[in-house]
Amino acid sequence: MDTLAQHDNDSLPGDFAIWIFIFAELLVFGVFFLAYAFSRANNVELFNESQMQLDRIAGAANTLVLITSSYFVVRAVAAIRTGNSTRCVHWLLAAIAMGGVFLVIKLFEFGDKFSAGISLSTNTFFMFYLSLTFFHFMHVILGMVILAAVLFKARSGGYSAQEHTGVETGASYWHMVDLVWLILFPLVYVIH
Amino acid sequence: MNTTPFIRPCTVIWLLLIALTGVTYLVGQAGVSGMAIVGFVLITTLFKSQMVVDHFMGLKHVRPFWRALLFAYLLLVCGMIGVAYYISL
Repeated sequence: MDTLAQHDNDSLPGDFAIWIFIFAELLVFGVFFLAYAFSRANNVELFNESQMQLDRIAGAANTLVLITSSYFVVRAVAAIRTGNSTRCVHWLLAAIAMGGVFLVIKLFEFGDKFSAGISLSTNTFFMFYLSLTFFHFMHVILGMVILAAVLFKARSGGYSAQEHTGVETGASYWHMVDLVWLILFPLVYVIH
Repeated sequence: MNTTPFIRPCTVIWLLLIALTGVTYLVGQAGVSGMAIVGFVLITTLFKSQMVVDHFMGLKHVRPFWRALLFAYLLLVCGMIGVAYYISL
């Protein structure tokens, strides 16, 4: 069976350089997550009380938004593998729009916290919450910029069924942004 | 070329991820705690993450080393988070 998921030589999808970047990013986020978890072990009461002030609905909504956005990128890759640039552009546009929804929800969440007088210096929990989520926020923006660059090239016919490494490269980065949030959400918003 | 053999499993995975996110959210809303709950949420997270790696990133179809490397990363991070919560009990 000819599956579209099959890659030449069983190599990683997209440019290998992006995977070096992805592994480096995952390492940084991993260290960040463990720093949060082990800091919590020394401040359980503080972390549990502070976590109660988070908007869990916004966190869950953003998880759904990123998962859906990732799925749209999968559809964009599938489209270009059949040589359908127009459909690829439409799916990429939808994925970028979902990234925009993520940013808007997060900005409301940040605004809510800042208006309540919460800042990096409030306590250890909020130092982690604000820095971790802002760090991820910046990655979402970078991911959107990468997807936009891929979109413009796809729109001008820069990719084909035979050559679409750029689409797979952008897709791989975007899935990494989703992957990190899948760990961040339960860690910071749910478990206590 | 027919995209259905590739898209259909990804659509199922997308719906599964949505459902599991709902479960995680409900666990948080229930306000329950304890190592069993933390373990359940972390295993759910590990499963969800591996679904993204396998089907969205497409690593199920590349050299097994890369898939194993990412699984090891996810297992290490989720496992160490579990350890951190265990020692805080």
